[in-house]
Amino acid sequence: MGPDDDLPPSDAATALRLIDDQRAETVRRLQPDARLLYWPWGVAWLVGFGLFFLRFSPGGRVLVALPDWLPLTALFALLITAGAIQAVASARAYGQVTGDSAVRGRWYGCAWALGQVSVYAALGRVSEHLPHDLAGLLWSAAAVGLTGALHMAGGAIWLDRDLFRLGVWISVINVVGAIAGPGWHALVISVAGGVGILVAGTIARLRQRGRP
Amino acid sequence: MTELDPVIHAQARLRVVAALSALGDGDRIAFPRLQELLAMTAGNLSVHLRKLEDAGYVEISKTHRGRTPVTLIRLSRRGRLAFEEYTEAIRTLLDPSQLDSTVSKEQS
Repeated sequence: MGPDDDLPPSDAATALRLIDDQRAETVRRLQPDARLLYWPWGVAWLVGFGLFFLRFSPGGRVLVALPDWLPLTALFALLITAGAIQAVASARAYGQVTGDSAVRGRWYGCAWALGQVSVYAALGRVSEHLPHDLAGLLWSAAAVGLTGALHMAGGAIWLDRDLFRLGVWISVINVVGAIAGPGWHALVISVAGGVGILVAGTIARLRQRGRP
Repeated sequence: MTELDPVIHAQARLRVVAALSALGDGDRIAFPRLQELLAMTAGNLSVHLRKLEDAGYVEISKTHRGRTPVTLIRLSRRGRLAFEEYTEAIRTLLDPSQLDSTVSKEQS
């Protein structure tokens, strides 16, 4: 035991400062940097759906003559990278803390994984009977719709108003994009969705830093 | 004036309790992580945790993750209450006018 750490704080103000500092430090160290949770997804949507718009543009046009396989490959590679960054950042922050939060996080992760498998399994059966442009719209609108709903659910689980708002935003722009049609959907999701996620990440980071 | 809880009113244990109070309800933290957060030696942290455990303020459970034994720590309900009372007492010492609002808040 240290020689003096069994002594009381010198006065009430010191004690209160010690409490506030220790709590703030603990919260800060046990939370991943919000930028690592949001920004990689924002970049993935911005670039991935952006390439889709350029290659598979509205009205069957081709704005930029990219190889057919490039947009989807780039989108998946960026999404997988974003998932990996999020997983590592979360594991480093939440590791060695067990209990209710860990269970919440695990079940929420299951909802993402299983939700996507079940939606895509159904889409795979249907989309082969659709024209190429409508099949693309169906896949991306279903995926983005599920993402919006899960963000809202996440907001409800952690009572995180910003996460919930992001879910609402994603859902609304998904409807707008779906109504606008193939090609336009990719543009809306790339710009409004990608930038929306980047902004949400910035707000979340500012809140983390502003916490006393 | 109420007397400050002597178990918590020591710098090291106050830091331990403050850190544990920042965990979510129902969460436990592994010993090495808590040690790293507080920048204390293992021996020092053990001594203070034992005192807190003797007072019924923390719960220490031993379990296994794979084959590795893990010691998990959390603030007990009693510990959380004691910490809240201590913090309230400190705030009142700093600003006695808060006493009235605290009492009326508890009654409502």
